[in-house]
Amino acid sequence: MALSFKALSLHGGASLDRNAGTRAGWWAWFLQRLTGVALVGYLFLHILVISTVQAGEDAFDSVLIVLQKPFFVVLDLFLIAAVVYHALNGVRVLLFDLGIGLKRQAGLFWVCMVLTTILTVVAGYFSLPLIFRN
Amino acid sequence: MAAPLIDNQDTGVVGFWPWFYQRISGVLLIFLLAVHIWMGHFSGLRAVIDGRQEELVLYSIVQQRLAQGLFVFVDFSLLALVLYHGLNGMRNIFLEWPPVANRAKAMTLGLWVLGVATFAYGAWALLAFIL
Repeated sequence: MALSFKALSLHGGASLDRNAGTRAGWWAWFLQRLTGVALVGYLFLHILVISTVQAGEDAFDSVLIVLQKPFFVVLDLFLIAAVVYHALNGVRVLLFDLGIGLKRQAGLFWVCMVLTTILTVVAGYFSLPLIFRN
Repeated sequence: MAAPLIDNQDTGVVGFWPWFYQRISGVLLIFLLAVHIWMGHFSGLRAVIDGRQEELVLYSIVQQRLAQGLFVFVDFSLLALVLYHGLNGMRNIFLEWPPVANRAKAMTLGLWVLGVATFAYGAWALLAFIL
């Protein structure tokens, strides 16, 4: 069935996903929401941290030095995983909106999961010197 | 066909333009965030590991980057697009929650006020590196 733009504006690929009636479709939708809300929360914290620059260069640097300690580098990897999953699944949903790939939606969800894992592991690998530095 | 796939049956609808701009901003964010994360976390990695640079991100490093017009454009575009995309995403969620969706217009207006105010606040912070 071809979707009209009016139908798209009402339905959207994401809710189509949720109603797709498969476990993978539900998880794809749920993780998109979870990462989306988490990233909005992070966004406000990120802007707040950067705004410490208004208190002066030293204030900014002292905050940023703490935020580059190993603990926060590890947290950054969760951030990368969230961003990568949200972006990849966003593309997956966009394809559905264009009428592409709906029949393969579950498989495409697993492609998103595997690529997210690979990219996060690669980012983690390159971050190892920062996590284990003195 | 299965049951009709209608969002927010009892409340409101997302609307064509918010749906459309969510897709456009999302695609643009993929590219801008790739640059942003690369510059912030990976481009200076070798220098930090070799001890030529103390940290990945410090005032002087961000200031040097923002001396280039391209990164001023990237950062201000990111700020605007990410706020639109994030808050419009929150609107999509709120529209499914009847107590808020019944006041969809007020909720949308509230999110716009929050978004514009946060953009102004973020721009004020960015300007400290540029001016």
